[in-house]
Amino acid sequence: MPTFKIDGKEVPYQDGDTILMAAYRAGIDIPYYCWHPGLSIAANCRMCLVEVLPPPGRPAMQLDVLELDRATSSYVVVKKPKLQPACQATVTPDLEVLSDTSPHVARARHAVQEFLLLNHPVDCPICDQAGECKLQDYWLAHMKTPKRMRDEVIHKPKATSFGPTIVYDAERCIVCTRCVRFCKEVAKAPVLDKRERGNTSEIYVHEGQQLDHPYSLMTEHVCPVGALTAKDFRFKARVWFLRSAKTICQGCATGCNAWLDFDPRYQKVYRHRPRDNQQVNQHWMCDEGMLSYARVHEGRLSQARIGSESAPIAQAAAAIAQAIANAPKSAIAIGLSAQHSNEDNFAMLTLAKTFGIQALFVTGQPKGQGDTVLRHEDKNPNTAGVAQIAGAVRSFEELVAAVSTGAITTVITLGSAVPSSASALAKLGFLGVIGAWNGPMAKAASVAIPACSWAECDGTFVNAKGLAQRSAKAIQPVDARPAWECVARILEAAGRPVGWKKFNDVQSAMSASAPTAQEPAVAGAASAAT
Amino acid sequence: MEPLDVEVDENSLELPSDPMQLLMGPSHPAMHGTVRIILDLSGETVVKADVQIGYLHRGFEKSCERGTWNQVFPYVDRCNYSSPMLNNVGYALAVEKLCGITVPERCQYYRVIMGELARMADHLVCNAAMAMELGAFTPFLWWCRAREMIFDIFEEETGARVTHSFGRIGGMAQAPTARFKEQVRAALPKFLASSEEGISLLERNRIFMDRTMNVSPISAADATALGWTGPCLRSTGVAYDIRKAHPYLVYDRFDFDVPIGTVGDNFDRFMCRCEEIRQSARIVEQALAQMPDDGPVNVDDPRFVFPDKREVYSTIESTIRHFKIVMDGVPVPAGEAYGYTEAANGELGFYVVSDGSGTPFRVRIRPPSFAMVQGLSKLITGQMIPDIIPTFGSLNMIGGECDH
Repeated sequence: MPTFKIDGKEVPYQDGDTILMAAYRAGIDIPYYCWHPGLSIAANCRMCLVEVLPPPGRPAMQLDVLELDRATSSYVVVKKPKLQPACQATVTPDLEVLSDTSPHVARARHAVQEFLLLNHPVDCPICDQAGECKLQDYWLAHMKTPKRMRDEVIHKPKATSFGPTIVYDAERCIVCTRCVRFCKEVAKAPVLDKRERGNTSEIYVHEGQQLDHPYSLMTEHVCPVGALTAKDFRFKARVWFLRSAKTICQGCATGCNAWLDFDPRYQKVYRHRPRDNQQVNQHWMCDEGMLSYARVHEGRLSQARIGSESAPIAQAAAAIAQAIANAPKSAIAIGLSAQHSNEDNFAMLTLAKTFGIQALFVTGQPKGQGDTVLRHEDKNPNTAGVAQIAGAVRSFEELVAAVSTGAITTVITLGSAVPSSASALAKLGFLGVIGAWNGPMAKAASVAIPACSWAECDGTFVNAKGLAQRSAKAIQPVDARPAWECVARILEAAGRPVGWKKFNDVQSAMSASAPTAQEPAVAGAASAAT
Repeated sequence: MEPLDVEVDENSLELPSDPMQLLMGPSHPAMHGTVRIILDLSGETVVKADVQIGYLHRGFEKSCERGTWNQVFPYVDRCNYSSPMLNNVGYALAVEKLCGITVPERCQYYRVIMGELARMADHLVCNAAMAMELGAFTPFLWWCRAREMIFDIFEEETGARVTHSFGRIGGMAQAPTARFKEQVRAALPKFLASSEEGISLLERNRIFMDRTMNVSPISAADATALGWTGPCLRSTGVAYDIRKAHPYLVYDRFDFDVPIGTVGDNFDRFMCRCEEIRQSARIVEQALAQMPDDGPVNVDDPRFVFPDKREVYSTIESTIRHFKIVMDGVPVPAGEAYGYTEAANGELGFYVVSDGSGTPFRVRIRPPSFAMVQGLSKLITGQMIPDIIPTFGSLNMIGGECDH
């Protein structure tokens, strides 16, 4: 790979790279506001100005500037190199760039930062961006002084609603136009624009329109300052108290890489935001996915239940083991779930194999809306994973048909979501459910065991493109246990212990039996469910 | 009339002579802090003493790894509650050493004066407690009244009488008040007079001399081997004072003496402290004369020092500066440093390790009391029960810093 020099250090670049892009990849910090790796180049914030040295033997491009000499109170002409925005200047072979080592660049950064803060309100204490705000970071890194202006700042509208999800504060805005470019280029819904000039300029929503496309929360995410804030997150938490876990969004089969932000003191989840992955979601996530964090605390199956009575998990597991022992093996069906991880589904598969149960089916959320940006119409995160480890299995509709004819009387299933009406399940003699939410399946259950959601346990999810991705645990479960552990307890209660203690135990058991997982004997039904 | 016991064998009258075991502390009004001593007694003589510490353990060092660098100050306050200001300064100096920053001269003098006042208060209360334990209640009351004069100065300067939390990395929480010098100059002679008055009651007092001279002596070699520092080491004749041996702040600019003892007994330790109070007063007087009346107190670096509060509420730049220090902590560069100062009881060291973040990676304290207490069992073995508490008092063991 060819290289060029930043501050004397060799930096590799690809053909067509800008200076900033090459530095970004190499982990060299050149400050920027308006540039974003996933958006077009605007070069309007001027924070990334760098000094580009002239080719050997050529004079530097210089400007004459008038500077006030404070000693004599007169203006003198000095020369200063013409600085270039690193986000826009393309790398050429043998280019030499001065960034941190140039006094001109340091002065320019100081001046740009002072300019951007000129009319900024004293809002840090009430601003959600505080703690992850570029204005704060760059003030300390590149300015460090008070501003010189003593005039009253320009006042603009505050807390203007842009739509159902976003609030705009024009005083905090540095008009970098990242949000405008995002709506136009990624979301393909150009509802935002910039109006007026100079220090009165601001972002606005087109007359008669609203910022209500399915990616509206991303405008808040790309905002480098606190101008756009999410209504959902406003005044909920201070970001420096939050910790982040690397999770996989559970909203659909795209499997967007995400950060799940939680407060470790209260074990509470506050937001879901995108984690860069060029192969999957680049830098983006949809509103649905970003708001899905709320499910961690909403509508959960909080306690194990036998009938309508709450019971300890061990007792509920024993009741399920008893039901398996009581029913003829041909009348039992085991349910896998596209809502659960590979490990959880593998545990269910092990349960089926241990008792020689042939009938397998898969449940999950019904199909929803998809688009060409990120959203997939399959609203389950692990449909492909279930297909990989279990092969072809029956659909939920086929199970319902078998239950109606009386061929299946006992069902043990993972997950409490169903793709269509679950009313037929009332005919079952026994329904055992291991699920995280109190969904239709859990409500119909004879015995229900609370499982961990994705926020509370590790898991592997395979997205629609066949990419297996690991989601990490964020918070501690309250009463729930990982679904694989619930299955292990059922097996233990049935006198067939598997000895899984940790997540790694399940993973190693899964990799050991991976070849057999593909065998049609386990898959059971001939008709394939996709 | 014949005595009745004339026929009795002489030996059968002897009392049983097995050593008696006595548990002193940990919760006993006479114990300095919560310490337990398991004593084996033969009559009233101590045959064996097992000193057990750890009853005041608060996890101070581990707690430091949670907050920011500046949030450690309240913890070090409570390490030695007799002279918190010296601890504040010691910790600040250790972290500043790691950051490579030096506070302005005015602040250095301010730290010296505040520290020496704290040392005087510490020595005074240690001696007062020791005298009281020997039955001399009057000096205790007089000296506690004298200590109030110093506490009044601290209250005026810091807002708190005991736990000030007044040190900051890169300076002090506040600049000296306008009346600072005037107040110290007014209080110092009264304080010294009160101190001398108390000393005059004790230093030629027959009872006090009999009870302290040659009681629990220690040799210079033993004290050095145990890692003793401070007045307890100097009472054995070793003239080691960090202010002289490795001057920090502006201590090399003052003319003061290091008092030493001869035999290292309770009387020597008492007298060393008495003389150190006088020497501290000399330092304070010289420092007051040399200290600039204006000029900055804190380093001129927005990464370390909080901006003026009025500016925080009215300008965005100062708000940001305030936020960055509160949210991220001061940016201490990755590395490690050992800062050491002469606290009231001896060498107070802070070994600080930074991973480059705003939170300490490790803070290790080297408290003077810890080394001192390991000599206690040697000191009281062979002494009488009534000498245990005065001896313990003369070491000035502080539970807060010993149990770290």
